[in-house]
Amino acid sequence: MKEVKVEVLGPEPSCMRCQTAKKVVEKVAEKLKQTGIVVLVEKVNIMSKDVVGKYGVLVSPAIAVNGVVKFMGRVPSEAEVEKTIREVAEREA
Amino acid sequence: MRKPRTAILLVFVFTVIGLLIYSRIMAYSLAPTMKPADFSGLAIWEIPIAYLIDYFSHGWICLLFAFVVAGLVYEFVPKEAITKYMSSSKAAGYALALGMAPFLTVCSCTMVPLFGGILFAGAGIGPAITFLLMAPAANILSILLTGELILWELAVVRIVASIVVALTAGVIISKTPWGKAIEKEHQQTVPVGQASIEIVKSPLDERLWASLKFAAYLAKQILPFFLLGLVAVSYVQAYLPEDIVGTYLTGVTGVLIASVIGGPLYTPTLVEIVLGKGMYELGMSKGALLSWLMGQPYDVANALAVSRIARWKVVLTYMIIAWAGSVVFGLLYGILSGSL
Repeated sequence: MKEVKVEVLGPEPSCMRCQTAKKVVEKVAEKLKQTGIVVLVEKVNIMSKDVVGKYGVLVSPAIAVNGVVKFMGRVPSEAEVEKTIREVAEREA
Repeated sequence: MRKPRTAILLVFVFTVIGLLIYSRIMAYSLAPTMKPADFSGLAIWEIPIAYLIDYFSHGWICLLFAFVVAGLVYEFVPKEAITKYMSSSKAAGYALALGMAPFLTVCSCTMVPLFGGILFAGAGIGPAITFLLMAPAANILSILLTGELILWELAVVRIVASIVVALTAGVIISKTPWGKAIEKEHQQTVPVGQASIEIVKSPLDERLWASLKFAAYLAKQILPFFLLGLVAVSYVQAYLPEDIVGTYLTGVTGVLIASVIGGPLYTPTLVEIVLGKGMYELGMSKGALLSWLMGQPYDVANALAVSRIARWKVVLTYMIIAWAGSVVFGLLYGILSGSL
């Protein structure tokens, strides 16, 4: 059982494209559950001081996997997100 | 699977670019060609229909091009390189704010977050304000449409004027006591993180597809308002008497009036460009037209969102500077171009 934390970074209140990004991640999470990878999805406010302190200036929507920003300023496809999460899960296993 | 997909997408992109170049070479007008006189004799309900048909028979190439290019630029501009150096120095902060605003802000939802990010990341209130003012004034969609629909000369002047006004406002606000107070309040006590960004390199076909999807998203957001705007423009063209435009929208008064009505009427939907074009054809001076187009940065919706972070004093200061800038440049351009 592997656990991966995925943060979707966007403004509060959320913008349209950030919601789309979150939906993509949630779909992938659902799919990966069957393969033994548990994906914890969290929506994070891109403008909070913690986030800026951790990641610097970001273009929304951004997606971070286990604390590393992997996508920024775009809505990636499900395939891309799945591949990235799998890679991280394997590397850190 | 990847290669044919990439090829199809590339062919589409080059076809769109080629169409615009072809229309240029053939000197084919991409702007609507109906003149106010053409509207006489049409019934009230026929006016917008006739205008929309006229508009889209010419304008579809231009709109398609603008949205596709905006999508591509947004996708391929190296965002991480830009954001990385944002907090390295004041000068770099200003330069990046000016340089990245046109490319990163076609989607209004990224503007306020970036403003906050720049401020929090330690670049300070100056570059943040510069970014905020530059963003709507010179984003790539509105520049492309200003150039294609009205005049490229005006598009260039609009960029230059926006740079000057945005820089001035940023520098002035960073010197005011209330600007400094905001800066201090948001100063980062911990160093800004950078090591934790490793952007995934996506294959070309994924990126092309994503940029076209973004182009479609932009079109879906903007076109409904744009259509309503066109309907309004058709009535302006049909019913607004030329002597009213000639009296009120020329000269110093024209610049002042245009700069004042430009702000509240701003919607991030490019309507101001078609509406400006309509009034320009009815005799609005070039100077007033520039003020009208530049009046946007102090729109109300953005000001409200920003005031939550930066307080009303900063917002008021930048609105006044933006307004004064639109008047000064409107007058200057009017005098220099001989159309005041």
